[in-house]
This record gives sequence, C-alpha cells and structure tokens, in this order.
Amino acid sequence: MLVVPSRDGAAVTSTAKIAIEAVSKTFETKRGRPHLAISDISLQVAEGEFVSVLGPSGCGKSTLLYIVGGFVAPSTGSVTVSGQPVTGPGPDRGPVFQEFALFPWKTVLGNVMYGLKQQGVAKAEAQSRVRELLAMVHLSGFENFYPKELSGGMKQRVAIARTLAYEPSILLMDEPFGALDAHTRTRLQNDLLAIWERRRKTVLFVTHSVEEAVFLSDRVVVITRSPGRLKEIIPIALARPRDRATLLLDRRYQDYVVGIERLMDEPGEEEPAEDGG
Amino acid sequence: MERLASIPGLPPILACAGLLATWEIAARLLAIDGLPPASAALAQVPAILGDPEALLNIAASLRRMAVGFALGVAFAVPIGLMMGRSQYVAAFFNPLLMIIYPVPKAALMPIIMLWLGVGDASKTLVIFLGVTLPVIYHSYQGARAVEERMLWSAAAMGMGPLARLTHIVLPAALPEILVGCRTGLVLALITMVTSEMITRQTGVGNILFNSLDMAQYDTVYAMIVIIGGLGFALDAAFEALRSRLVRWAEPSHDLVVGTT
Repeated sequence: MLVVPSRDGAAVTSTAKIAIEAVSKTFETKRGRPHLAISDISLQVAEGEFVSVLGPSGCGKSTLLYIVGGFVAPSTGSVTVSGQPVTGPGPDRGPVFQEFALFPWKTVLGNVMYGLKQQGVAKAEAQSRVRELLAMVHLSGFENFYPKELSGGMKQRVAIARTLAYEPSILLMDEPFGALDAHTRTRLQNDLLAIWERRRKTVLFVTHSVEEAVFLSDRVVVITRSPGRLKEIIPIALARPRDRATLLLDRRYQDYVVGIERLMDEPGEEEPAEDGG
Repeated sequence: MERLASIPGLPPILACAGLLATWEIAARLLAIDGLPPASAALAQVPAILGDPEALLNIAASLRRMAVGFALGVAFAVPIGLMMGRSQYVAAFFNPLLMIIYPVPKAALMPIIMLWLGVGDASKTLVIFLGVTLPVIYHSYQGARAVEERMLWSAAAMGMGPLARLTHIVLPAALPEILVGCRTGLVLALITMVTSEMITRQTGVGNILFNSLDMAQYDTVYAMIVIIGGLGFALDAAFEALRSRLVRWAEPSHDLVVGTT
C-alpha cells in the first residue's frame, strides 16, 4: 500500500501496480570497465497513475524503463508488476519508444493489427478495434500508408495505437516525443492526455523536459546523473483534465516547473565521469 | 549531348553500339583467328538458339544454376540471420567463413569431382558454394542492423525468440538479404560456367570449350554473348522481383504526408 495524491490533490491509498525495489544496473563500457548506470532506485506506481521519470540525458532513466519492461535485467534489485516479478517482456506492459520502432514492411493497419494477431484476436474483431484506435489518434484514412510515407508525429501516433491495440494495463513511454518538433510535441502531449483520460492506463513516462513532465504527470520522479539515483519525488497537484493554455498561466504550474528546474541544477554528489545508458 | 543523354534508354543503346563497333573495327584491322568480327559472332547466335542440342545444354545449365541458387539461399539465410542475432553463432561461423572466403569455389571442383563424379551433383554443389557466402554475409549484416527496439516491441506483444527471427528479423533484413541474393545470382552464373568448363560434360560452358577446341571462334564469342545475355536477363528479372518485395523500403518512393 502506498499513498498517492488523487486527482484533486487529496491523498488516497492504493495497491502498487509497479513496484521497483532497490534496482541497480551496471553496464560494461566498450573499454571493458563497469559503469553504474542507475543505483538503488525504489519507486512504486499506483494503478492508473501517470508518473514521469525526469533527468538529464545519460542519467539512466531509460534503463529503468527497460528494466520494468523486462527488456533489460537489473544487476541487483527486483521489479514486480501487479504483484508478479518481472522476468521478461509481456503484453501487460506496452512500450512506446522515441525511435517509433514501427515495422516498416507493414502498413499503418498492419502495424496496429500486429499485436492483436499475436494475441489471437479474430480478424473482424481486431479490425474494428484498430479502426476505432486509428480514429482516436487521428489517423483514419491512413490505414494503407507505409511508415516511411508518414511524418515523425504520425509515426509516433501509429506506435501509440499499435501499443494501445493489445490493451496493456501499463504504458512504458521512453521519451516518446523527444524526436518531434515543438509544435508536434505539444499536440501529441494533448492527445496523449486525452487518451489517458479515456483509458486510464498506468503510465511510466521518461523525459528530460520539465514542462512535459509537469504538464502530464501525477508525480514527477527526479533522477540524478551518473549514476542515476532517485533525488526527489514531486506530486503534481494540478486539477485534471488539464488544459495547456490555462496551465501556462497558472502560478502553481510555473512554480512546479521552476522548482524542479532548480532541483535539477543542484550539483549532484558525483560529477559526471562519462555518459551512458 | 546533354539533350541526347536525357532521352531514356538511349545512352545504354549507344554504349552497346559503341562496343560492337569497336569490336568490329578491331577485328577487321587486326585480322587474327582468335578474334572474329562482331557481325560474324552475332550471326551465330540464332544458329545456336535454333539448335535443339544447344538449347538442351542451356536448359541443363539453368536447371543446375536454379537448384544450386535455391539451395544456397535456403541454407545461407537462416545461418546469416542467426549469426546476426547471436554473438555465439557469429563467433562460431565467422572463422569458418574467413577461411572459405578467399578460396575460388571453382578451385574446389577437382576435389568435389573426386567425391561426387562429374555429374549434376558436383556442379550443383559448386554453384551452391558460390551462392552461399555473399548471401550469408548480407543476411548477417541485415540481421545485425535490425533495431533492438523493434524486437522489444514484438517481444512485448508476446512473440518468442523463434517467431521474432522469422517474423521480425527476416522481413526487416530482407532488403539487405536481397542485395546478397543478387550478388549470389551473378556468382551462380559464373560458377555454373566455370564448373562446366572443368567437367566438360554438358551445359553452356561445355559448348564454349568444345567450339574453342574445334577453332569455331565465332561460336565461342556467340556463346559468350549468350551467357552475357542470360546474366543480364536474370539480373533484370531478379531486380524487378526485388524492388516489388521491398517497395516499403525504397527511399525513392518517399512521400511524406501531413505535418504531425
């Protein structure tokens, strides 16, 4: 059991959907030296909660996400999802990557259908679900386009739809809007919040943008650099549904952004020796 | 000149005409037995293609080539893909390939003939060997370049390692695999002719060397033209198939729609 702020900021109790227990990860560098990417991170995420992991590039925040996804094994510590220890990837945790990672030989429809096919969903059922999803991410009419024919923002919409299609209870988003221009980024943030309001997935969202983290999240987890350690967890007590224009003018939003930026500027215990993860 | 060159199809025709004209003039000026004029050699082409015996030989050559090529691709693609995705498999096969790579495959023909005789088996095997290496190499490179996150996305959907190899790595590496197959196809043609020159039983290489023995030089050149034509036609057919299969990857068709 842990305490998380509810939508109006009051504390409620809930069972942890994701429990990260004292996770560390050591990589071997190209020169064969061990590099500690993340160190002793513990974090609990409640069902339906939107949590951002914020840190400078190279702080190992993506590594943490990959460990929750089961794509990378932790060196020490453990992760449980819905009470089950994570031993590998599974359809309960859907990833969305900065690089989109679409299947380029499949059309938009083929990409979004792919996970449903793997789950053995009947074709007619799968197609109707996919068409509904494509409408939700504003891609109706692009069913037969190949990924290379789409802009970056559209590719990421396809990737989000592809992951939502097989209905994971958790979304693992690895700087999903990091490769997009500012305007596209803002639109996708708005769309993601709208989707989240409707579907209420548990979201673990990695970013290096303070504004993005504050705008989207229930809580922001600040990670230090080299090695990545948990510095502070900041609950964002801003009402939902959130409107970007209103928030930008809201003093409390501004205070969160400035406060977190100051926090990130504080010197860490160790100065960065080399970039990694 | 620029204007002429911009007419589609004209520059290659000019190039061929130039080559034939140079050949014709050189042959008439030098007047040696071993170099008949282009016109004399080309005149033999219809004669060869009209001869049922020669056609049977050509058909036999193409059949061996097709079998050797198909077996080579079927063998090489899985090995290359597994090498690309597993460093252990790569560490096992790499030294073997390094040893085999510089050996001209036709140089193995005498040994293979000792084992398998001079029939189809030997020739098909040497074609197989010629095809295998470039296809393994390109499949390996293609599989190695597959984006890790694409495989993670598939794993999250519940795909196991074998399904990822056949359903993600194979299509993702297909453009690169087909580049290897195209090289393999040309090498298959080369090893096919070489193997027939060594064994002297049937096939286009055999016709070529028999004509040489009988000093029928215009037939020798006509056969070279026919072999070249076969190679050109096979390569063009393969290229047409390749661009159909990987149209999704061709950058020339890029047409980005929308802005977000």
